[in-house]
Amino acid sequence: MTALIEITGLRKQFGGLTAVDDVSFVVAEGEIVALLGPNGSGKTTVLNMISGALAPTSGAIRLAGEEIAGLGPHRIAHKGVARTFQLVRILPSLTVGENVMAALAFRHPPVWGGAAEARVETLLEEIGLGGRGAERADNLTYIDQKRMELARALAAEPRLLLLDEWLSGLNPTELQVGIELILSLRRSGMTVLLVEHIMEAVRALCSRAVVMNAGRTIADGPTEAVLADADVIRAYLGEDHA
Amino acid sequence: MVRALLAVIFFAGALAALAWLPTQFGAYGVGLLLGMTGYVTLASAWALFSGPTRYVSLATVAFFGIGAYTVAVLSETLPYPLILLVAAAVGLCVALVVGLATLRLAGVYFVIFTFGLAELIRQLVTWYEVNITGTLGRYIFLPISGEQIYWQLLALAAVTIGLGWWIGRSRIGLALKVIGDDEVVAAHVGINIARVKLALFAVSATIITLVGAIQAPRWTYVEPSIVFNPTISFLTLIMALLGGANRLWGPLLGAVPLFLLFEWLSANFPNHYSIILGLLFIAIVFVMPQGVLAMVERGWSRVGQRGRKAEPAGTEAAQ
Ligand SMILES: Nc1ncnc2c1ncn2[C@@H]1O[C@H](COP(=O)(O)OP(=O)(O)O)[C@@H](O)[C@H]1O
Ligand SMILES: [Mg+2]
Repeated sequence: MTALIEITGLRKQFGGLTAVDDVSFVVAEGEIVALLGPNGSGKTTVLNMISGALAPTSGAIRLAGEEIAGLGPHRIAHKGVARTFQLVRILPSLTVGENVMAALAFRHPPVWGGAAEARVETLLEEIGLGGRGAERADNLTYIDQKRMELARALAAEPRLLLLDEWLSGLNPTELQVGIELILSLRRSGMTVLLVEHIMEAVRALCSRAVVMNAGRTIADGPTEAVLADADVIRAYLGEDHA
Repeated sequence: MVRALLAVIFFAGALAALAWLPTQFGAYGVGLLLGMTGYVTLASAWALFSGPTRYVSLATVAFFGIGAYTVAVLSETLPYPLILLVAAAVGLCVALVVGLATLRLAGVYFVIFTFGLAELIRQLVTWYEVNITGTLGRYIFLPISGEQIYWQLLALAAVTIGLGWWIGRSRIGLALKVIGDDEVVAAHVGINIARVKLALFAVSATIITLVGAIQAPRWTYVEPSIVFNPTISFLTLIMALLGGANRLWGPLLGAVPLFLLFEWLSANFPNHYSIILGLLFIAIVFVMPQGVLAMVERGWSRVGQRGRKAEPAGTEAAQ
């Protein structure tokens, strides 16, 4: 398996606080990898640096061998990285369809007009929002907003999909649907890096897990082995436990 | 399809009627029409950029003045259409430089910078004319009648509003809506925010430059304090805000009544004109920041809701 994303010595400093400290790991093409760790351990910050929302203080991020650290988010998006956000980000004044259309219209090469409208409908269908493209996005329930956000990320047909606690906040039935959805993405060959607190989902989805604590990686390996690791258990049961 | 065709026929007819109007008026009427169309174009062009981005620009007169001055400088050396082309090119270049330098400024800093820019350009031109050319003013002797200026402005206004209509349906229009809602999402779906803003600023500034260039022959004599008068920036801004800078017809609906009002005020209260202008400015910004159109629409929907609520009192409880 070839590495799709290769992170080496990644650091992010916010003033005096080192949120991410010398983090290195690799995600291979077609893998679903979990990024775990207690609250405040730096997971979202790592995703932010991969997607370009934040520039790293130092370190390298290579996407299929190409250095992307420090590029703007729109340029990284064009190279095939899409994401969802921990606090779901919808475009409230737009319709559900336009929310998805936005990702089609500005990817490389863009999809626009009739082709885009057809694609939007298919994506909404796949995600469980079929026929609801004309509704206003801010009238959707929380779960449907999350669905829409994922449809927007998938519209970009990314090589690498970043999911930041996309499954949290779902009820048990919705969780099963969500897990199924991500599994279908894996079958289609997409590479996924996901931050998640729901261990059931991590076990069902991820072959490998990387665990962070206070900005550093404390474990990296097959999911079952990592979850049994003494350091990991200590980190999760410590004061930071969420 | 039929509706689109009817709309095209309607607007072509309206434009023809407007083009025919000067034949019904004397010189004063033509002057009034010309000034009004100038401000409709300025306000519409201003809103093209400032409406969706919410960047309040006070640089209107900087570009307007650049257009007028280009005509004044070149009026005896180049044929008229070429002068307009040069003016547009100069406006575009200045807009690109200014845009690159300032579009990262947010909020009030942008407002202050654009105001400063207009003053800076005025001072630069004044300094150049006094120290290098040796005279402050310039004469423009171009054989262009008031009607001809009016027709050019009318065409430019139509192009500007047409452009606004087209943008609303294009990818760039969607990009603007996404940026307006959430810049983080916009960047993450692949929108180059800086480029979209710069493109819009440049288009808006170029049109404004052309308004200045087209109107220049009207003055015969120009000097910096005339063509770089900051009142032009403020008027443009409150016209667009009054009508609603986020709507296609908003700036036009704001420009027409305000232009007539200011004409009347400056004729009848020449001494209190600035004070009244200032008060109106404050009133519009505070009372109707979204514009009259939005206010009317909200009023309408409230009336509609009351009507609906009054009818089927029982149905809602049943659901
Ligand atoms: N933009 C920011 N500015 C300052 N501090 C931040 C910023 N983003 C995150 N942090 C801090 O960095 C640390 C890691 O945060 P985060 O990456 O969100 O953790 P996680 O996603 O693992 O819960 C926290 O202490 C957080 O307060
Ligand atoms: Mg987080």
